[in-house]
Amino acid sequence: MASQLSFIGFAWKNLWRRRLRTLLTLGGIAMAIGAFVALVGFSRSFEHEWLRLYSSSGTDIAVVEKTFLNTSVDESLGAKIRALPMVGQATPIIFDMMDLTPDVNALVFGWKADSYDFDGLTLLSGRRFQDGKPEVLLGDILAGNLNKKTGDSLEIQGKTFTVVGTYHGGSALEAGAVLMPLDQLQLIASLQGKVSGFHVRLRPDPADESHEQYVKRAQVAIETALPGLHAAPAAEWASKNQFVALAHAVAWGTSSIALIVGILGIANTMAMSVFERTREIGILRAIGWNRWRVMLLIQIEATALGLAGGILGLGFGWGALHLLSTLPQTATIVSASLSAGHLWESLGISVVSGLLAGAFPAWRGAHLSPVEALRHD
Amino acid sequence: MTSPLLEARNLCKSYDEGRIEALRGVDFSIAVGEYVAISGPSGSGKSTLLQLLGGLDIATSGEVLFQNAVLGSAIDLDTYRSRQIGFIFQAFYLLPTLSAIENVQVPMLAGGQVPRNRAERARDLLCEMGLEHRLIQYPNELSAGERQRVAIARALANNPAILLADEPTGNLDSVNSARIMEILTGIQKKRGMTLIVITHENDIANSAPRHIRLRDGLRDERPEG
Repeated sequence: MASQLSFIGFAWKNLWRRRLRTLLTLGGIAMAIGAFVALVGFSRSFEHEWLRLYSSSGTDIAVVEKTFLNTSVDESLGAKIRALPMVGQATPIIFDMMDLTPDVNALVFGWKADSYDFDGLTLLSGRRFQDGKPEVLLGDILAGNLNKKTGDSLEIQGKTFTVVGTYHGGSALEAGAVLMPLDQLQLIASLQGKVSGFHVRLRPDPADESHEQYVKRAQVAIETALPGLHAAPAAEWASKNQFVALAHAVAWGTSSIALIVGILGIANTMAMSVFERTREIGILRAIGWNRWRVMLLIQIEATALGLAGGILGLGFGWGALHLLSTLPQTATIVSASLSAGHLWESLGISVVSGLLAGAFPAWRGAHLSPVEALRHD
Repeated sequence: MTSPLLEARNLCKSYDEGRIEALRGVDFSIAVGEYVAISGPSGSGKSTLLQLLGGLDIATSGEVLFQNAVLGSAIDLDTYRSRQIGFIFQAFYLLPTLSAIENVQVPMLAGGQVPRNRAERARDLLCEMGLEHRLIQYPNELSAGERQRVAIARALANNPAILLADEPTGNLDSVNSARIMEILTGIQKKRGMTLIVITHENDIANSAPRHIRLRDGLRDERPEG
């Protein structure tokens, strides 16, 4: 059977003739896409875990300062929030990031012993802590990383706490966290009388109002009652809190640099390829290929490099994300999960990278004079 | 009298801002199905003339007409090269990454032939060239004569009106030269194609029914000998 030459097949043969260069270029773009997949995936997973943290406990609204990195609100304001008719429960919380060992740092939450936030947790051993006592509960992931169990002691910020129980959290943030009495965290963090904010559960939705409208109305009511504070719906707060925003910014910034390097790699490969194939381009033009067809061939080659690098990069990124999810330093704040949207976004970026990188070499190749190109050595 | 297929009118081509005049006013016309040899010493303007007739370049002044339409204005040069011209070069110019049968299909990728036709047509053309046993060989696995036959098959791929051969036997021994010229003239007769051969070999030039000689960028009207 005679072999059929297709346009794509021709492009493939052109790429494969310089295998080493093609593979090195693929490696470059794969690393760039891998970095994007891992870093942006990491930051989105972080955001997702925040959302799960709120949803698992049934929090509708988070009340915090309007502009802050680590907010500091008077604990006494809780009474004003609880006095609002739409508010079912309002519980003060503090969260902070602390070093527990030289290798392990973790989120530390300060809750009241009667906080409704406990509803989202499953106690695996021991009991809840008691307010006013140096006691902690450890998430199961963190307990494993620290090799601690109920009854052990744990030193935090120079103070010794007794591990009174372990739990499984609805979110990796909780599963990798320390829970302690609010007053104890205020003590070790020098935040007496202050809290990071309040988690608010609203009373059941009225029959004649959607949940979103009801939350919006409660949000306005809280902000009116407490000028200067921000009442954020839980989903919004999960995606816009400064920890998540910072993680997103770092992920996109670092990925962008990696992507630019990857794009330059493809552009360099294609520019060299066009230069080396100057005479062949002349032959193609001589036998009737128009400029657009030559451009299309070079663009297909560049895009194929981008796409293939992107597919490899998905593998790299997925592997990196899983590796991060197993490291003690990072496992406690994120779970390894990649959404289909993120995968398609990564592939889209890899294809666009190929198109961008191939644009100038393709234009240059297409605008070579056939006569000059045929004379090229 | 039938109208000419290809016509050169006062064709001039200069390079280096006019300092080098490759062609200085050449006129001739070629009819459908004619076999014309164009010869001349080195620097006479043969290759430049081929480039202009083949639509690879445009004249500084004067014009080339195909079926009474001016190339480059009434006829798009890419379309002209794709549909009306089949080039055969001295150095063969096959694409090294493609097999013989794939090389023959390359012009068809510009010609819009349906996929199933491409491989079949390429195989038929290579068989016509006596290369049915060399379909999947790459250029570096073929002899010089075989490469030129693949190049001829490639030139015929889009069934052009004109075959333009630039020193087609320049890189071949006498046996292969004779075979290539036999193939080219056979195609011209069998298909009624117009064949224009640029050559510096007197034997080939003199064997053509019509012979245009160039010297210093002009037609050489002196008697032969």
